[in-house]
Amino acid sequence: MALAEVDRLTFSYPESERPALSDVSLTLEAGEVVAVLGPSGSGKSTLLRALAGLVPHFHGGRFEGRVVVGGLDTRRFRPADLAGAVATLFQDPENQVVFGRVANEVAFGLENLGTPPDQIWPRAHAALVEVGAARLAERRTETLSAGELQRVCLAAVLALEPKLLVLDEPTSQLDPEGAVAILDVACELGAAVLVSEQRPALPLERCSRVLFVDEGTIRLDAPRDEALARLPDEYVPREPRPLGEAPGSGEAVCRLEDVTFAYDSRPVLERRSLTLRRGEVVALTGPNGVGKTTLAKVAAGLLEPQSGGVERNGRSCYLSQDPGRYLVKERVVDEAALAVGGNLERARRALAEVGLAGFEHRHPRDLSSGERERLALASVLVADPEILILDEPTRGVDPPRKADLAARLRRDADRRATLVVTHDLLFAGHVADRVVSLGTRDHVHA
Amino acid sequence: MSPVPAAALLAALAAVALITDRAWVVAAIAIALLLLCLRAPRGRRRLYLVGTLGSALSVLLLSPLVSHVGTHVIWDGPRIPVIGYLDVTSEEIAAAGIQALRLAAVGLAFAAYALLLDLDRLLQAAGFARRSVLAAGLATRLVPTLERDAAGFVEALRGRGVEVEGVRGLARLMSPLVAGSLERALNLAEAMEARGFGRSGRTRAPSAPWTRLDRLALVAAILLVLGAIWL
Repeated sequence: MALAEVDRLTFSYPESERPALSDVSLTLEAGEVVAVLGPSGSGKSTLLRALAGLVPHFHGGRFEGRVVVGGLDTRRFRPADLAGAVATLFQDPENQVVFGRVANEVAFGLENLGTPPDQIWPRAHAALVEVGAARLAERRTETLSAGELQRVCLAAVLALEPKLLVLDEPTSQLDPEGAVAILDVACELGAAVLVSEQRPALPLERCSRVLFVDEGTIRLDAPRDEALARLPDEYVPREPRPLGEAPGSGEAVCRLEDVTFAYDSRPVLERRSLTLRRGEVVALTGPNGVGKTTLAKVAAGLLEPQSGGVERNGRSCYLSQDPGRYLVKERVVDEAALAVGGNLERARRALAEVGLAGFEHRHPRDLSSGERERLALASVLVADPEILILDEPTRGVDPPRKADLAARLRRDADRRATLVVTHDLLFAGHVADRVVSLGTRDHVHA
Repeated sequence: MSPVPAAALLAALAAVALITDRAWVVAAIAIALLLLCLRAPRGRRRLYLVGTLGSALSVLLLSPLVSHVGTHVIWDGPRIPVIGYLDVTSEEIAAAGIQALRLAAVGLAFAAYALLLDLDRLLQAAGFARRSVLAAGLATRLVPTLERDAAGFVEALRGRGVEVEGVRGLARLMSPLVAGSLERALNLAEAMEARGFGRSGRTRAPSAPWTRLDRLALVAAILLVLGAIWL
């Protein structure tokens, strides 16, 4: 008997005329690892939520068809009742954490499932060991990095010993090493794993089967090798283009000399230097916590270094890695116009360039996560600055949109200096002229 | 110290500050709690201390102007429509001083609770009303989350060349902040339900037994409240 079965599922969210999923059928066998790929807004997350029972119970909406997981029909059993059979790891670890102490966070699900009290701490500890986070057990969750927090969240779901593990873009905030570590642990469990990712190479290396979802339907359901031959070009993994470190020859528009910065006496940057020149796109890479974002903020003028010199010739704009920060105004067009003194015409053009034409009068919070990413991008690109600093601009962005963004940054490269902070080495290879890697050297000279 | 006796001790200190009429006792409690709060990391304690001490200072400065108590006038001001004559008496200053100290003591007791106690373990100790205690724990964590969100909005605006200035500028962020916390609450509720929250038959992870210090703290809390009522 199949572990999970989706039978002719059609689902529409409340107040949405277009179904998010349309006549979807599939079966999942115990132990198989399945990669779920597809563009933003294609229905991947909805499919994963349907398997966890969150659709329709949590989100409401119109649900037709049947989903059965571990013998439990999701129409009759609530997500909490399915929790022993299926466990879900979501994209943003900050939105999953209930407790302030790591060990308690991992024990929470076990308590909910009615695990005998004498087994709770041993199982919580074993799960933390499994994800390599045993040393974090007594730490406060708010003191953890994104990578550490996502490991803790993974431990919290692994502790439940689920038969089906659902991973909804679990590595979008992690560096390549952290992402590999999370997926390796998840895929070696022995449970069936359904993993959705916008960096397809990661799940494609580990899966046995691929689902490609587009416009609410499964366009491709095939074993990995067959799928690799049939997937759209942007989804087929390639080796990142190697980048050099030699600086360009254009005019220097932003220069950081021996910059030092510390948060509450915790040093993050020590005597770092970086020069950005007009006409070049620079990729800033390195592991989580090495100071990439801090260096980018210093370059953008958002942080004042404790020592060292910063020189900027022209306006700088900075794109935060959290698109939730670009939801201040009541209309999409007003949000995009903020950086240009309310010039709605320029805002409309910027929105059209990121594919948000027609969304001008929507409330920014009504946008999907992928659309919010694009709104954030438009809100910064609209200013057409001389120094453009983008912090993780491809987080949660699908491969075709990444290709569009890379093409756009390349097209406008001559007008400015561009710094792209990214963990996405494939994107860096597409977009950048050179790479500056933190965490490998004490001084970055360019 | 275990969180239950520690919370009881903080609650007792706040209660004593509200019950007693002796200004020096309230001042001693406020100073002791302030020193305790200073043990928390600087970044976390700032909002609590600024909020508490700022409110206490406001009471100290404004209360004598709007109340009409006492006969020893120190300053006689103009008549303001609706409020009436502005004057300050020595009795009003004394009353405002003790009210400000009380507010500071109660606020600092809450700050110490939020900053220094292991709220999770407090939750574990609550065998009853677990949902309410969990809600209280999550609400306590809302303050630093809102502070982080506000800083994020300001930074994203500055990153676009938009400066947020003054109270009016910050007030404009209230609506997105509230909307953001509602959205976060929904995401959290979804994640909690996916981990079995709300299912019947839940169990509780065993907690560490109380030490002698814990028992002493609980007795001290009871004695403090009784002493304040008695004296």
